[in-house]
Amino acid sequence: MQSNNHEWRNDMRRLAVVLTVFFLALALTWTPAQAEETIKVGIILPLTGGQAAFGEIEKNSFEMALEEINAAGGINGKKLEFLFEDDTGKPEVARSAAEKLINKDKVVMLGGGYGSSETFAISGVAQQNSLPFLVNTGSADKITEQNWDYVFRLNQAVSEYPTGLESFLTEVVKPQTAAILFEDSAFGSGGAKSFQETCDRMGIKVVLSEGYSKGGMDFKPLLVKVKQANPDLVYMISYVMDAALLMTQSMELRIMPKAFIGGGAGFTLPEFAKNAGKAAEMVFSATLWYQTLPYPGAMEYYEKFVKKFNKETEYHGAEAYAAAYVMADTLKRAKSLQAKDVREALAATDIKTVFGPVKFISYDKKINQNKLPTYLVQWSGGKLELVWPKEVASKPYVFPIDWEKVWK
Amino acid sequence: MDVLIQTLVSGILIGGIYALIGLGMTLIMGVMKIINLAHGQLMMVAMYITYMLYEYLHLDPYFSLLIAMPVLFALGALIQKYLLNPLLKVDSILPENQVLMTVGLAMVLTEIIRFIFHSDYRSVKTVYSNATLYISGISFNVPMIVAFGIAVLLSAVLFFFLLKTDLGKSVRATAQNKDAAILMGINAEWITILTYGLGSALVAAAGTLLLPIFYLFPDIGGPFTLKAFVITMLGGMGSTVGAIVGGVVLGIAESLGATYISMALKDAVAMVIFLLVLIFLPGGLKTLTKI
Repeated sequence: MQSNNHEWRNDMRRLAVVLTVFFLALALTWTPAQAEETIKVGIILPLTGGQAAFGEIEKNSFEMALEEINAAGGINGKKLEFLFEDDTGKPEVARSAAEKLINKDKVVMLGGGYGSSETFAISGVAQQNSLPFLVNTGSADKITEQNWDYVFRLNQAVSEYPTGLESFLTEVVKPQTAAILFEDSAFGSGGAKSFQETCDRMGIKVVLSEGYSKGGMDFKPLLVKVKQANPDLVYMISYVMDAALLMTQSMELRIMPKAFIGGGAGFTLPEFAKNAGKAAEMVFSATLWYQTLPYPGAMEYYEKFVKKFNKETEYHGAEAYAAAYVMADTLKRAKSLQAKDVREALAATDIKTVFGPVKFISYDKKINQNKLPTYLVQWSGGKLELVWPKEVASKPYVFPIDWEKVWK
Repeated sequence: MDVLIQTLVSGILIGGIYALIGLGMTLIMGVMKIINLAHGQLMMVAMYITYMLYEYLHLDPYFSLLIAMPVLFALGALIQKYLLNPLLKVDSILPENQVLMTVGLAMVLTEIIRFIFHSDYRSVKTVYSNATLYISGISFNVPMIVAFGIAVLLSAVLFFFLLKTDLGKSVRATAQNKDAAILMGINAEWITILTYGLGSALVAAAGTLLLPIFYLFPDIGGPFTLKAFVITMLGGMGSTVGAIVGGVVLGIAESLGATYISMALKDAVAMVIFLLVLIFLPGGLKTLTKI
């Protein structure tokens, strides 16, 4: 009886082992089977760290687009899936995130890349591994100037930011002198250099051009120098909170040029006006996009985003939303999901998005670069209004500006 | 001349707040002999408390001092009692376990706050946020002056506490020689709890005072932990007078560096001073004062 009992127990044990193995095997075969149903694309954004606020706008926009794409049938019947990785605003983290997405998750293409330095790092990895990478925000010129045929850029390069501004300066502001303040990143110094060239070409004397490291608390030492130089124009390339502090402290020091112009980035975000208060009033900024522009779906995207997240969106979000649609379009047209075919399909892109028409061309030293115009916006009554070029303006520009009255 | 004076003014005013940040860390350093690498993050938590009070109860940030400081005192005391002190009793390979714990704490605090508030930038815009006094062309930001004043006041209270009260003397005794203090009947464990609480409350005050002029997001703690560390080293580890001098020196050095060298090199200027002090005055500024 005892031996019987023993045998019975042994049998049960064997059964348990067999069952476990069976279920494990089932689970193992099940996972890849399910994974095959979706097409994976890796998106790298700063989701933590100092730039997380922008990363969040972009992630929300990517997800909003993803929902719509999948609701409309996905990619030829298969569902599209975005795998988000956090680059924490550091190039070395961005690089390892890209490597992980390529080697472990086997994504078919990469997207995202917020800061220029991070984007550049991801671009290097993508090119090395021959996997297409669609940049939607990183704007340092060098990203598309490396002859990297797997790197494509949907947004304007930073040297293009002042183009929309040029005609405004010659026709309206007519400045003699300018000061340039910029954060000392790839994005900031690149933008400062190209604006300096713009000034040289237009005969504007640059009396001061100085960088700062972002996240500063006290910009007065820098602004005191601006006040002493007394320029007609102050051009600033800054992220949002630096931008807000630069303006509030300029107001405190009573620096009164003919115009303050921001070079995109921080100056167009709703947080800028919220944090700078009345110091944000009448400040101009270059921008890459505005919701009233006559692009199909632009206003709908803006309204849907505001409704869904109860927060405003701006050009960064539009870039991400447009990028998601470019990716979906590319993957639909690709002959196969091989990197080579996806690259070919991406290169042949020619669609209209909320961010404007997307078509990758080569010009100057750049390859695979989308060329779009830039615009000028102005803060007025706590709202951002498109003021230049005149044909598309949502409100006439305010100039000249009586700072005493604005800052009272 | 105006440029120089304006630079010095903003340097000294910022220096007052730096001193307050450094004081807390230096106290903890003195008593526990550890670097509190969660210092900036505790300040961030205090800033969020102040922000919440302003946003939902419309409480003026200066009144919030009376709430943020006790809350952070309690938080700091709990951290010391339940997270740091138990580590002392465990034998382990690394004697710096408590420091590692503060690093972990810093991350946990940041991520909890991010979970609740997301990564959005927030700020408290009071009517006086941009109020400015002008004295012969030099501008003085009013909240900065108030912050400076309160920082001086708090430092004075701290000194009174450390020099004149029994409890304060016990804190100093524990810092000077823990074993002797225990032999004299001082409850060292309770003193460590009190000190960590005090350090947290002081940095909470700094954060609250900063809020009307600065802004807030979950990752703001890191740079301030670094600043506090530099100030603590500058002042001579554990020296309270040194921390105050160190804070003001750092503020002025950063401002002068920003004006006369380049604002891009502001942090580099601070680090160069830090290195020079380590090389030529390894004991920090306190070796000059003998206090």
